[in-house]
Amino acid sequence: MNINLIPILLPFFSALLILAVSEKTKYLKELLSIGVTLTALLASIITLGNSLGGDFAEIRLPWLYNLAQFSLKADMLSAFILASVSLFSLLIAIYSFSFENKGPSKWFYFNLLFTQALAAGAVMSDSLITMLFFWEGMLVFLYTFIALSKTDQASKNTALKAFMINAVTDICLMTGVIITGYLASTFNMSEIAENKLVLSGWATFGYVLLLIGAMAKAGAFPFHTWIPDAATDSSAAFMSYVPAAIDKLIGIYFLARASVYLYKLDGTMSMVVMSIGALTIIIAVMMAFVQQDYKRLLSYHAVSQTGYMILGIGTLHPIGIAGGLFHMLNNAVYKSCLFMTAGSVEKQAGTNSIDKLGGLFRNMPVTAVCFIIAAAAISGIAPLNGFFSKELVYKGALETGHVIFFLAAEIGSFLTLASFLKLGHSVFFGKRPQELAEVREAPVSMLFPTALLAGLCLAFGFGAFWPINVLIAPSLANLGMLPACELSGFHLDNLYWVSVIVILLAVANHILGVSLAGNKASKASDHIHHAPVLKPVYEMAEKRYFDLYHLVMNKVPAMAKTLFKVDRLMDKLTDDLPSASFNAVSKNLGEAHNGSYLLYMAVTFVGIVAYILFIGGMK
Amino acid sequence: MISEFLSYSIVPLLSALAIPFLGRKNEKITEILANVTILAGLINIGYILFNPSNHRNQYSTFTQDGFTLLMIFTIYLVAMCVVFFSTRMNDRKIDKNSYYPLIMLSVSAMCSMVMARDFFTLYIFMEALAVTSFALITTDDGRGGIEGALKYFLLTFPASALIIIGLALLMIVSGGFSFEHIQAQIIGAPDFLTFLALSLILLGFLIKSGMVPFHFWTPDAYQGSYSPVSAYLAGIVTKISGVYAIIRLSMFFKLFDDKAYKASEMLLLIGFASIAWGAIAAMRQKDFKRMLAFSSISQLGYILMGAGTFTTLGIIAAIFHLFNHATFKTTLFLNSASLEKNAGTTDMKKLGGMEHNMPVTSWTSIIALFSTAGVPPLSGFWSKIMIIIALWMTGSEFYAAAALIFSIVTLAYFMIMQKKIFFGKANPEFAHVKEVDFTLLSPVLLMSAIIIAAGVFFPYVYDYLANTIATRMVI
Repeated sequence: MNINLIPILLPFFSALLILAVSEKTKYLKELLSIGVTLTALLASIITLGNSLGGDFAEIRLPWLYNLAQFSLKADMLSAFILASVSLFSLLIAIYSFSFENKGPSKWFYFNLLFTQALAAGAVMSDSLITMLFFWEGMLVFLYTFIALSKTDQASKNTALKAFMINAVTDICLMTGVIITGYLASTFNMSEIAENKLVLSGWATFGYVLLLIGAMAKAGAFPFHTWIPDAATDSSAAFMSYVPAAIDKLIGIYFLARASVYLYKLDGTMSMVVMSIGALTIIIAVMMAFVQQDYKRLLSYHAVSQTGYMILGIGTLHPIGIAGGLFHMLNNAVYKSCLFMTAGSVEKQAGTNSIDKLGGLFRNMPVTAVCFIIAAAAISGIAPLNGFFSKELVYKGALETGHVIFFLAAEIGSFLTLASFLKLGHSVFFGKRPQELAEVREAPVSMLFPTALLAGLCLAFGFGAFWPINVLIAPSLANLGMLPACELSGFHLDNLYWVSVIVILLAVANHILGVSLAGNKASKASDHIHHAPVLKPVYEMAEKRYFDLYHLVMNKVPAMAKTLFKVDRLMDKLTDDLPSASFNAVSKNLGEAHNGSYLLYMAVTFVGIVAYILFIGGMK
Repeated sequence: MISEFLSYSIVPLLSALAIPFLGRKNEKITEILANVTILAGLINIGYILFNPSNHRNQYSTFTQDGFTLLMIFTIYLVAMCVVFFSTRMNDRKIDKNSYYPLIMLSVSAMCSMVMARDFFTLYIFMEALAVTSFALITTDDGRGGIEGALKYFLLTFPASALIIIGLALLMIVSGGFSFEHIQAQIIGAPDFLTFLALSLILLGFLIKSGMVPFHFWTPDAYQGSYSPVSAYLAGIVTKISGVYAIIRLSMFFKLFDDKAYKASEMLLLIGFASIAWGAIAAMRQKDFKRMLAFSSISQLGYILMGAGTFTTLGIIAAIFHLFNHATFKTTLFLNSASLEKNAGTTDMKKLGGMEHNMPVTSWTSIIALFSTAGVPPLSGFWSKIMIIIALWMTGSEFYAAAALIFSIVTLAYFMIMQKKIFFGKANPEFAHVKEVDFTLLSPVLLMSAIIIAAGVFFPYVYDYLANTIATRMVI
């Protein structure tokens, strides 16, 4: 059996098996899932090793009447993403072992394993049609994942929102795939890559559709709006698995494939992609900065960080793309870690609202340390992994010559650090409320994956050369891009000093904010939140005036009413009107047969005369 | 007239003469004699038609054409069902010693009519058939029957006059009435007078068959007459006396090539008017039998349209639809007779929910009405689709579309009927009503079986029609 199939088929069948396990069994489902994800991870690592060694272990089967092949191929990029997907599946499976807020564990693990299987399939697919098959499958489990995580109506609404947004964008992706396949006259990505499509006419349209699909999966502006809602309406385990890790991995993976591997982009399209990235960074981080809910704040950062990856890939420069891919990995690591700390705090302290939390460092020291490491990493503080990937993105942005994108990224970093200073300060430091005195450290099963991810932040920071040289550089080579210079290594150049300045500015801003808010850390963002121009904008944003989904959904009742009226009208025209007129004519005709012999005879003679006149007039 | 099949006319005639004498003491003998006569004829013609060796030789041993043979079979089939049904119905009110001889006489007249090889003979037996029909309509001495008979007589008498004029003209032009003679005349020199003569004869038969606007006698006659007689009249008698001759004439018009286009237009127009008028008027009828009468007018319109295309396909389709009409209309009229016998009425306002009381009657009605409306795979679907294709192929797209649309209206009025009588809320007044016994059901079951079989095995039926029946005709 081909080893590539294990990460797909094993979770798939185990998910079905889990449904058969009784609700009453304790820990059986959890242990089974951990075992399965562990096996899948080992298989993925072997795949990665084979792939780096040059063995892609391709599978090609005829499918859909030879319209498309069912083809799996673990090239370097795919194998790298596959290993990441498997790693995060294992860590979340462990984390959820004793995390009750995840919802019914049967359904949680069912969804988790299915998502893993489909994600693994999507990244390994070589045929676009096969990828689409797995990609669309994930949509179903996105819905069930959110809808089954809580029993209230809000989770159903959010699930529907996530489903609708992704369904529409998935249709865009599907159309894009069809256009791409038609233009290239093959659906196999490795064959398209040999003869990349050039943007013009239909190809531009096809690429834009692929871009929409990939960016919506990654959660970029303006398709991100379901993520903050999911943060409040579903569990931390879901958040740290799907929006923080899997969606980013899959979305950015395909964005890189589409932008570099399948199409040959021009400067304009590059500008468009970078602008979307920059906009995503700024808008999301602005929203994140003022949030008062632990998970919701993190969810906006999950969106904001996507902006860096899109910006990095949009540069089309090997350094930028390397930064984007590395940032994707780093983001998954620290964002999952952060969501895990949020879950732990929620489980132990019973709330996620930051103005009710405080001083938890003494109660939950391990969680707090993990948080600090991950927060430092996401803010891009020097020796941690986030610093290196952001540095690559900055370098890539500067290489394009458009300084504005670099500035946007730096503003994003500034606000990121400021919001994490606010979050950390108000949750783990400052004054501890009386009712939180008895809070205890999270269980080991939750601490272990959190600590492991925090450790990865350190490892990928101090040992950044390893992931860059072993994972990123081969992936770049795989995409057909060879970096001109050494990617890894710590440089004491201007960029470093800029980052130091940004850190100092953020700290100063935080001190200013805290002192303005009267020593309440949770209010440290108020001086920006309530600034003259920003206040009405923030209010409108909170009322969802900028949420495309809600704008459309608000129009739905009126549209439905209009359509109903149109339907009634059509019904009247096609059903009521003919039957009424037929009835009236029928009644009159029936009454015409009144038994009067004279009438009958008269009509008969008129008929005879008309007939003879018609026939006789032949000559 | 050729003598080889004369026995189909002579035997019922002799039977009709013998019955009043033999059955004077015992009515059983009357019934047995009538049944045996018709059954013997049916078996005989069935053997001739479906005998594989005759079939294989395409009836080359007979001088009569396939159309005649098929019509004789249809006549005997419907007559068998009606006679058997009447026997089992055992109505005390009617005078059996005049009823059965009249049926025998009309069978004899119809067979003579279809066997005629010249128009004069055709005309003579048509008049003979009309006389027996008047008498049959008045069978149960009701007021409606006598009114219906009078209307039938008075409103169709112009037909006789027109046919006589047409025949006289034909005599002047070509010097003979026989089919071969006219055929030779048309092929030799297709002139206007021959066309006019044939057109006048055609008009006469149009009046005879009750097409719009000459149809006013049909509803009164069918509604007023004794129920099995309605089935007999609607199923076969008025079709043979009118539509058979029209199809026969259309074969001659076909020989005119394009010169007879006015006759074609006239037939299509009258056919369309009949379809539309009959179907629309049927929708609001309150009596089952009267609705069936209007339905009959509507279905005749299809036959007329098929014949009016003057193409081989159209004429074959018309013949097939004539046969199908005999099967489904007989079924429906006999069902109305069953209803009248057991529930005492055919008024759709009073009846309701009869499917529980009379399930077989309900189901056979459904089969027959689906076939009428042209629901696949029943036989009516195939004949209608052939007619529509023939219309389309001759460029009459409007008539083809109209034929299609009015088959929906057909389904509509029949569904109204089915809902009012068999489905819907049961009327407690009819709670005691039972299904009629099996012997009364057997004719409708036989007809339903023929409807289904002719539809399901249509490829064989088409093969038979096109290769065996049609090749023996003038067309």
